[in-house]
Amino acid sequence: MPTAKNIAFISPRFSEQGTVGGAETLLKKLAEHAAAAGRKVTFLTTCAESHFTWENKIPPGQRRIGNLDVHYFPVDKRDTAAFAQIQQAICSGGHFTPADEETWARNSVNSEALYQHLREHGADYDRIVMGPYLFGLIIAASRIHPDKTILVPCLHDEAFAYLGLMKKMFAAVRGLMFNAEPEQDFARRIFDIPDSKCSVVGMGIDPFQADPKSFAARRGLTSPYLMYSGRREGGKGTPLLCEYVNAFRERTGKDIKLVFTGSGPIEAPSELVPHILDLGFVSEQEKHDAMAGALAFVHPSTLESFGIVLLESFLAGTPALVHAGSEVLRWQCRKSGGGLWFRHYPDFEEELSLLLSNEDLRKRMGAAGREYVQKEYSWESVEKRLFDALDRNG
Amino acid sequence: MSKPIFEIGAQGVDTAKIVADIQAAVSKKIEDGVYADARIARAERTNLVNLRGEDQFLGFYLKCLHDAVFVDISDFEIRERRRYFAPMLIRLKKVIWGLLKFYTYRLWSQQNQINGLIVTATEGLDEKYTAKVKDLEARIAKLEKES
Repeated sequence: MPTAKNIAFISPRFSEQGTVGGAETLLKKLAEHAAAAGRKVTFLTTCAESHFTWENKIPPGQRRIGNLDVHYFPVDKRDTAAFAQIQQAICSGGHFTPADEETWARNSVNSEALYQHLREHGADYDRIVMGPYLFGLIIAASRIHPDKTILVPCLHDEAFAYLGLMKKMFAAVRGLMFNAEPEQDFARRIFDIPDSKCSVVGMGIDPFQADPKSFAARRGLTSPYLMYSGRREGGKGTPLLCEYVNAFRERTGKDIKLVFTGSGPIEAPSELVPHILDLGFVSEQEKHDAMAGALAFVHPSTLESFGIVLLESFLAGTPALVHAGSEVLRWQCRKSGGGLWFRHYPDFEEELSLLLSNEDLRKRMGAAGREYVQKEYSWESVEKRLFDALDRNG
Repeated sequence: MSKPIFEIGAQGVDTAKIVADIQAAVSKKIEDGVYADARIARAERTNLVNLRGEDQFLGFYLKCLHDAVFVDISDFEIRERRRYFAPMLIRLKKVIWGLLKFYTYRLWSQQNQINGLIVTATEGLDEKYTAKVKDLEARIAKLEKES
């Protein structure tokens, strides 16, 4: 018998179309599956669409979206200059005080209307599941009913993780749901939290059929290509990927193309630009077909707590090359047998050359990755872990 | 360029083993100078922050940088993409370049001197501290053996 019958989920953004970040997608999917299992689920979020401007774009109010009751609350006015100044000090290892940390959180994204809702209706909820950890909204919301709060931190080894207010938040909440074991290990290393509070849940990857040949045929691609899907920005390592592919093309003389889906500008050397296919936002089917036909999926980010697109590419039967600096991505590749990891360009060149020259290995890695996702990240497995985490704390 | 050096024949896929083998081979190739390439120095510039823990990497990176450090200040072919007035535009550009050359040459030759000095100083520091760490490690090993 579930003890967590009435659950609120909170994340800074919620999109009907699924064009927000990985953490928001994760919260949305977990909420949908909890609702589908018969639990009463309310989703609390802000009216913002962009995580750069946090401008109120969506009208406030309550709406039924799929099987969820979604409440949109307006974002409060913020002092972006104060926020940016302290954020700069945090990121560059400069001097800042606990009061500065509070000022930083107060001028991150916040919504007094959402907090008011939690104060008035918090007693109705058995659990309040929220994330990711580094937004003012989550820090403030977690303080209202910490005894009911389960944090889905999506934690990375970055400057924000070491703030004093994060330590307090991780200590105060009722439970923590991590996406992968290395994320949990990292949190336990820096926050000294008891095992009883922690669960590794992750997110289910919906099964899909993909045709490895159709994408290249539709797009007129005749050369092997690498693929990246997601936000294109320095923090995600996309400029590094472009530099590496350009160096690989120049040094080896092999005609490798690079296919991108997702949003954001692509910073690439001018020589590489004619060999990049930027699809922007595409349908899930188009993305999965592109993944299935790729020589390898490349994830050059060092700041990942899960790697949804990596798991999707595994499910498409495509091996991966990931940055060794991400403990989580490395762990997924090692555990599955579906990917290799590189520390620097020489590793990248050797690994890519290996995948180009050894089709048998490439196929076996693809099959291993696919089998891993089907076993570990089927919704059946994830739901079991999710409901255990929600009810165990009850 | 480097050629693939692995033949994977086993049934299971032990990616940790594959990566370990690749890393060992890469290490050897770095020592042999296979990757001392200015193009790698450029490609690696956004990755340097992630390589702080790699013992061998700084020495290797400095080798790559050695070739990339000097700005090319030689004359270059002046072209014009626009179809109309191309010969006239080329002549105009040549005149402008002729006027600017002396000043840019002076500027970039000084920049090259500074780049060269910085790389030499960094290499010197790297060599000095590498030798120092090696000596200390040898002393620790000796002391551990004695105790």
